[in-house]
Amino acid sequence: MKRLYRFFSFSILIIFLILLPQLSTKDYYIHMLVMAGIYSILAQSLGLIIGFTGQVSLCHAAFYGIGAYISALLALNFGLSFWITFWFGGIGAGVVAYLFGCLVLRLKGHFLAITTALFGIMVTLILDNWTELTKGPMGLPGIPNPSPVQLLGVKLQFVSRTEYYYLILVFVLLTALIIYRIIHSRIGRAMIAIRENEEVAQSVGINTMRFKLAAFSIGSGFAGIAGSFYAHYILFISPISFTLPESINILVMMIFGGMQTLLGPIVGAVTLTFLPEFLRMTGALRLTLYGLALMLLIIFLPSGIVGGIKEKWVSFREKS
Amino acid sequence: MLTVFLQQILNGLVLGSNYALMALGLTMIFGILEIINFAHGEIYMIGAFTALYFTTFLGVPFLLAIPISMVGAALLGLMIQRVVFRPIIGKPMINGMLLSFGLSVFLMNLSILLFKADPRSLESGYAHANVQFFGLQITLERLIAIIVAVIFVSFLYLFIQWTKVGRAMRAVAEDREAAQAVGVNIARIHLLTFAIGCALAASAGSVTGAIFFVSPIMGWAPAIKSFVVVILGGFGNITGAILASFILGISESLGSGYISYAYKDAYAFVILLLAFLLKPEGLLGGSK
Repeated sequence: MKRLYRFFSFSILIIFLILLPQLSTKDYYIHMLVMAGIYSILAQSLGLIIGFTGQVSLCHAAFYGIGAYISALLALNFGLSFWITFWFGGIGAGVVAYLFGCLVLRLKGHFLAITTALFGIMVTLILDNWTELTKGPMGLPGIPNPSPVQLLGVKLQFVSRTEYYYLILVFVLLTALIIYRIIHSRIGRAMIAIRENEEVAQSVGINTMRFKLAAFSIGSGFAGIAGSFYAHYILFISPISFTLPESINILVMMIFGGMQTLLGPIVGAVTLTFLPEFLRMTGALRLTLYGLALMLLIIFLPSGIVGGIKEKWVSFREKS
Repeated sequence: MLTVFLQQILNGLVLGSNYALMALGLTMIFGILEIINFAHGEIYMIGAFTALYFTTFLGVPFLLAIPISMVGAALLGLMIQRVVFRPIIGKPMINGMLLSFGLSVFLMNLSILLFKADPRSLESGYAHANVQFFGLQITLERLIAIIVAVIFVSFLYLFIQWTKVGRAMRAVAEDREAAQAVGVNIARIHLLTFAIGCALAASAGSVTGAIFFVSPIMGWAPAIKSFVVVILGGFGNITGAILASFILGISESLGSGYISYAYKDAYAFVILLLAFLLKPEGLLGGSK
């Protein structure tokens, strides 16, 4: 019965997501949906690193940028299509994360947070200054669209934003599925054990460094894939999209939704992609209000929307 | 050749004293409140603007404007600690970090609205006075930067080592519960620490604002550098932070003089990586 109920609600969700772009024909609205999808992947993968393994990474946007630059450079210099470059983007970001992680993941808490933040800044500095390769702050224009594919008799050409929407939807669902599988496996239980208490995890024979590295490189790899998608969607990238404030932005999405849940980061990403659009009305005040909203959020809703609802639900059930 | 080298070292000392003033506040706030304060650079910027307004519009002499901006920043710090950070003391560290980041975004953009984004110059009146010694020369402004740092850093050091309040601060840094148990007023120590940290940042801001320029985004880069300093020195370690400031300042100055100016902000990170490889427990060893 419970299974049937789950299957039913899941199908409704999928149908809703498929029909979503039909609600409005405005190009801009569909663009926001695609961006929400990209941020969902970023927030979910950061959730694997911070929410489930407890390792605070402040350089998620750097891996997002590494993925974007790798696939853009491969597409521009070797004419490879998105279907190949996104693998390189993801694996490249994962490998960089692995190497960097080997060096810094033995650090804990604040140490790790600041070091990863500095790594993010370092990556933007390199993107800005290695002008022979990255063209510096000028950015890389003219990245090709994904090449057309024939799928179930439907030809996807990637000229309209709706086609991109369906592609990112598949990516988001796959990311959610993979992370769900990881969390509910032996690996995931080890990761959660590390988050709860690293010493205890170690004392029962968990090789904590290995699992921390795994979470960090897998999470960063997904960020690389998101970056790759971003590059082939916007068709132009420059270092400004991958700075420390962007990392914090992703972090806030994850926390806003609720980081120790699977669904939370997605809720956070979607809400916080659309919310600033409403703040746009306030013009020059926008960023000031963003800062204020962030402070209020942390003080009054520290475990996020989904986390907060979950806590309320649990205490409600215990009472009744 | 040697003169050029020594001149670079001298510039490094100026940078280093700036970092020292910033990093001391940061490392104290970290050690005692266990908060990573991303908004420290904005306090530095507000300090610089206070000094700018007092010198330019009210005609207060520059040397008097420094203590005025310090007092202003200390008051602001008291308010911030009371209103913003107090609710999250003892909560997971990621909350404090995001809170201070929100504060930083808020203060920076509010200043852009109030003061406009373009850089301005703070006329200290000492910019063209040169001091010469051993064939080296330094503007009086830069010399003041070093002197201010030396004065405040030694004052702070003596205060923490030799006064009763200083001892209470060290006790809180060591073990918050135990300090509370023997009757230290934690809330008051937190307020005091935050105020001192902000005052030091404001002094650095006003002195450096006079050397370079004053703008709402001036605080970001020195704040990041002082984070490097805080890590290099060992979190919460004051002597380590002072030492690390000057190491970083001098290597940045030599690096941008001899290797490449474009990467001047990257040297901090290179040093940090080297430190992780060679001396992972911080400059002054395993002391925590």
